[in-house]
Amino acid sequence: MIEFRQVEKHYGDFHVLKTIDLRVAQGEVVVVVGPSGSGKSTLLRCINRLETITSGSLTVDEVKVNDKGTDINKLRRDIGMVFQHFNLYPHRKVIDNITLAPMKVLGIPKPEAMATAMFYLEKVGIGDKADRYPSQLSGGQQQRVAIARGLAMKPKIMLFDEPTSALDPEMVGEVLDVMKTLAREGMTMLVVTHEMGFAREAADRVVFMDEGRIVEIAPPEEFFAQPREDRARLFLKRVLRH
Amino acid sequence: MPDISIWTDYFGIYMKGFGNTVAASVIALLGSFAIGTIIAVFRISSVKPLRWAGTAYVEFIRNIPLLLVIFVFYYGLPSIGITLSGFICGTIGLMVYTASFVAEAIRAGIMSVPAGQTEAARASGLSYTGTMRHVVLPQAIKIVIPPLSNQFINLVKNSSILGVFAGFDLMYYGDQVAGKTYATFDTYLFVALLYLVLTLPLSYAALRLERRLAGNG
Repeated sequence: MIEFRQVEKHYGDFHVLKTIDLRVAQGEVVVVVGPSGSGKSTLLRCINRLETITSGSLTVDEVKVNDKGTDINKLRRDIGMVFQHFNLYPHRKVIDNITLAPMKVLGIPKPEAMATAMFYLEKVGIGDKADRYPSQLSGGQQQRVAIARGLAMKPKIMLFDEPTSALDPEMVGEVLDVMKTLAREGMTMLVVTHEMGFAREAADRVVFMDEGRIVEIAPPEEFFAQPREDRARLFLKRVLRH
Repeated sequence: MPDISIWTDYFGIYMKGFGNTVAASVIALLGSFAIGTIIAVFRISSVKPLRWAGTAYVEFIRNIPLLLVIFVFYYGLPSIGITLSGFICGTIGLMVYTASFVAEAIRAGIMSVPAGQTEAARASGLSYTGTMRHVVLPQAIKIVIPPLSNQFINLVKNSSILGVFAGFDLMYYGDQVAGKTYATFDTYLFVALLYLVLTLPLSYAALRLERRLAGNG
């Protein structure tokens, strides 16, 4: 479904992604962990071309993401994204946040878009907030709206870029629960997170990154019980200590 | 006490000028808003030629006196065979001139909308134009209302320059009445009051709009 082959990315002199090889199959949940600045978010953002790659090949559903002939807007319809800071549209009500892309991108008529939006709002447990503005919601609720907004496009892939990092500790659980449900339902997911509990429980595979490189890829049972690489071992020791 | 008869005797003439000032202002305001928005979007475009064009527009036009911008239309166009009235040249000049300031105000507004908004919209498959229209500009406009209302008030006052080009505006007829009656002070006092009739409601409307939009988000 997603395939990185020999992908390199530079920001000027800074080598952000180094020889990335990664394949994500349909229905797979891949959780990317690693220290800050290791390139996790950049890796994720390359998939829907919020970042461009310098060399190598990156395909989504057999489509070359960075090809000149690729209709990126069309490709992006199938890739939902959830951001660390939610990025809800503050001037639109919750429901209008969710219906915008289905109506303007897919051309779905308003009543149908509204019904779909309500369905996903109910699914993430906040159907009663449809007519509120984002600023009237808690962080956890806002992030759930953002997930519903992504799902309303009925994407094939969902990308999560540190979806719980900006939340109060109390709100983390409600967002992770929604994500776990999605994972169980077979959504193809790529998740960048510091929530090791989530990785352990929901991931099919864990990708560990450090300094722009994929250091280790392993099923969570293996990765958490006995990581092969020293760098991964050190990382886990630090994050799991408390 | 001002001599009220100067106001009443020539009331019809003042009103003719007032009407033309309103017409010039409304046309130039709407036009400069449209042109200014387009130029602002050009200036932040990732397409270099558009960016250059936008920057060139702003830097040339806003750094030339309004009078000279109108000269271009009034004296320049006839040399290529197009002759337009003073009213039209003045209104177009005013529109083009104000657009350069409007563009800068709107650009500042757009820049103040967090990048995450654009990212979220683009990631959902919206085009650049769709993102601007549905996500960025509606948020930018809120921030832009105070500086924009400044520009529009200036525009109404600057329209008095039409008098120089026989634009039959309020100032033009004010000059006529003053020349005829020699009651210079009383005449222009009335002219000033009539400008206030236009600009004060504009200030008030901007304030109302600002408050209303501040309500959500």
